[in-house]
Amino acid sequence: MSISMIVFILLAIALIVILIAASQPPKRSEEPIENLFELLSRPSHCARISFIMRSLSPQDTAYLRKGKNRALRNTLRRQRRVIALHYLAELQEEFETLLEISRGLAVTAPEVVPLEELTRWRLSIQFAINCTILRWQLRFGLGPLHGFTTLSNMSIGMVRHLEAATSSIARDAIEEAEIADFERHEDGDD
Amino acid sequence: MFASLHPLDIAWEVTSAIESVLLAGLLWRRTFLRYPVFTVYIVSTLLQSAAIAYLYQQSGLSRASTWAVAWGSQGVVSLMRALAIAELTRSLLERYPGIWKMARRILLWVGGSVLGYALLFSKDGYQWAIMNGVRGLELAMAAVIVTVLLFARYYRLPIHPLQRALAIGLCLYSAFYVIDYSLLERVLQQYAEFWNFLGITTFLASLLVWMWGVIRSASFEEIEKPIAIPPEAYRKLSAKVNLRLHLLNRQLTELQRAKDKQP
Repeated sequence: MSISMIVFILLAIALIVILIAASQPPKRSEEPIENLFELLSRPSHCARISFIMRSLSPQDTAYLRKGKNRALRNTLRRQRRVIALHYLAELQEEFETLLEISRGLAVTAPEVVPLEELTRWRLSIQFAINCTILRWQLRFGLGPLHGFTTLSNMSIGMVRHLEAATSSIARDAIEEAEIADFERHEDGDD
Repeated sequence: MFASLHPLDIAWEVTSAIESVLLAGLLWRRTFLRYPVFTVYIVSTLLQSAAIAYLYQQSGLSRASTWAVAWGSQGVVSLMRALAIAELTRSLLERYPGIWKMARRILLWVGGSVLGYALLFSKDGYQWAIMNGVRGLELAMAAVIVTVLLFARYYRLPIHPLQRALAIGLCLYSAFYVIDYSLLERVLQQYAEFWNFLGITTFLASLLVWMWGVIRSASFEEIEKPIAIPPEAYRKLSAKVNLRLHLLNRQLTELQRAKDKQP
């Protein structure tokens, strides 16, 4: 068997596997597109940031280390890990919501920018991978030093893409409105 | 009567019968109005079967001529299948203008690259040209269908059961065709008849999937076009999304700082 023949067969098998996965009915958003945008007005878990920050404050564990109370320090660390995991889950949920909105934008937009869409696909994959890595790091008690920075950079990227998409939609809508207005005036003159 | 028939002949006749039933179903359910190219493709497969059966019965024709006509007709049928896929893709995505504009370019790129790759790494020689071309086209078609379905899945686009059945049937046939042909090409030429039988069986399976889709198509209504959101809503939305993302971003940064400080 030649390598090219093996590659052909593997490609065909890979396509069948992807076909099976991709042909499942898509997970539809329970909300219609119009209502989906209303999700933005719902209260965010941002309000809980102060409590999260307090729970992650380093003073307590530093004090316990001085006092050599190892059992209490471990309990505290375990509890903090649970809080961080909950928080991470909420961040992921919020990111998913934003992605859902960006999908809604693309579905209703008269034009999308392919490069930006591709970047968003990449971002969503990266975010999913990073979240999984962070979750496991937290579960095994490892300090995720750079993971959160990576995730925050992705969020900045998402802002830029959504802004560009929305501006394009707004620009097209204004142009359409101007054309319609011009045609109305023309009809009125006749 | 059947005892004297070869399994390949039986499979061929069963396939032709199901093709006829599918064609009748497409006409009866008026599906041909929505998918005229796909209907023409089914007609072309029926004509191909009839033409090849006629050719094999003619003892006067040389083996080379029969071979050329058989593979030439396969090229035409593959081209019709490619057009049917283009029609299916259009029907799936055209109600979303933004996505459709982008998808067209990406799908052309995917199809072109796969076809180019397939032709580049195929066996040399003019006698293999049509067969290699058909295989490349089949691989490209399978890749295009999978990409369309991935698009639909990512953007959560609704797919009509008939569209899903057409996509699955077309892709499965193309992918199995590539496997069958790749094995036949160099290793198993002595089992050519067996692989012909496998090819017909695969097509039979695709026909059954399409039949299922045509039967189901009567109970489902046309998917509605999404309502475009007014520009004011978009502007408001943009501001809200940006605010939320900035807050999310700030939270992440603060959490990271907290984790770094943690002893």
